[in-house]
Amino acid sequence: MNQEEFTALFSEIRPQLKSYILRLTASVPDTEDLVQDTWIKSSRNLTSFRGDSSLKTWIFTIASNLVKDHQRKWKRWPENVTDICKEAAMQNPQHFQEAMQIVQSSQYAQFEIKEHIAFCFTCIAKSLPLEQHLCILLKEVHNFKIKEMATILDTTEPLVKYHLHAARKKMIEIFDGRCALINQEGVCHQCTEINGIFNPKQDTQQELMKIRMVRDAEKKDKEHLLDLRMEVLREIDPFTSSAHELQLHHLEHNRRVMESHLENKE
Amino acid sequence: MTAFILMTGLSVSGQNGIATTSKKTFSRTTTISQKINAHPSIVWTLLSNADDYARWNSTIISIEGQIEEGEKIRLKSTLAPNRTFKLKIKEMKPHELLIWGDAMGKRTFRLTEEQEGTRFTMTERIGSVMFPLFAGKIPSFDEAFEQFTADLKKEAEAISQVQ
Repeated sequence: MNQEEFTALFSEIRPQLKSYILRLTASVPDTEDLVQDTWIKSSRNLTSFRGDSSLKTWIFTIASNLVKDHQRKWKRWPENVTDICKEAAMQNPQHFQEAMQIVQSSQYAQFEIKEHIAFCFTCIAKSLPLEQHLCILLKEVHNFKIKEMATILDTTEPLVKYHLHAARKKMIEIFDGRCALINQEGVCHQCTEINGIFNPKQDTQQELMKIRMVRDAEKKDKEHLLDLRMEVLREIDPFTSSAHELQLHHLEHNRRVMESHLENKE
Repeated sequence: MTAFILMTGLSVSGQNGIATTSKKTFSRTTTISQKINAHPSIVWTLLSNADDYARWNSTIISIEGQIEEGEKIRLKSTLAPNRTFKLKIKEMKPHELLIWGDAMGKRTFRLTEEQEGTRFTMTERIGSVMFPLFAGKIPSFDEAFEQFTADLKKEAEAISQVQ
């Protein structure tokens, strides 16, 4: 493969790579840097790519190693990240003013509950151990096979299976306890509350019924509901979605709140 | 011979998920063995990951600390929920052997690769010169051993099925 072919293929993979790294780091600037580092490292080492795996697997391997190094210095977030960040947002009128400005000035700020579901997963998944976080994204969002994931993460297939299984169980447990969309006793209503702020004329219940995960919630099959949540993530590119400017602003807020929260806990 | 049987889990009793206990004047030993249809590395990961025990093992309330040779852990079990056992990780051979314990007792987990799976054997020996004085106050481990083993088998086999 020559450099020109590689550049074209990398460009095809870049959007997926960006969304993968953003969901791991929760930081747009760090994502941009890590995508750039992945590009530099992979193009420099192109001669070592022997085609034992697909180019996409090879590039995700390089990116995952860079993310692992990068994330080592950061603590994992708590499961109740959205509660902590909501409280911080309530005490920070500037955050809402900025959000309203984005809504008024950007064509990419049309709040949708679905996007918030994906956003919420991004925040809460940062409470998983990093290996589990990597596995659930690689499998459920980017459709890698177990064998490819073992290559990407430089581990064994049984261990990948363990991390993936544990990640799914943990996410099911957390969302079952928190998410009012799938459990009437769930404590978190943030997506519908925020929808009320940005889309006051919308019938929220009607909007919710457009989401299969909500429609299927009564069946109470928790594995199935997680699958449907992951389907929402697959449908949304956090850098190009219809509300991405609003959601990225929200994510940056949460990241700053978490950094400060975790620093204060030390 | 008895010691060999207990260490290797080759005795007829204690196999297939049924615990057996043998009592002596100064000690008591409980053992169980079970075939698990999962790779030893999956079983090992479950046994050696302290943070995750409470998720899959209904006999464990919590384990704090790292399961690494020489480290100490703090274990709370459903058998004695008001007590915290401070145990030392005495020996570890990845995918094969894990031993933890304190001055009173020693628990040995042993894994042996079998065709399409793993033979899991768990043994706990408690004893000392003072053992006869409080032997009657220590509850039987049989039921907890069987539950531990059933949970481990269920979880390891579920992981093994992940596609």
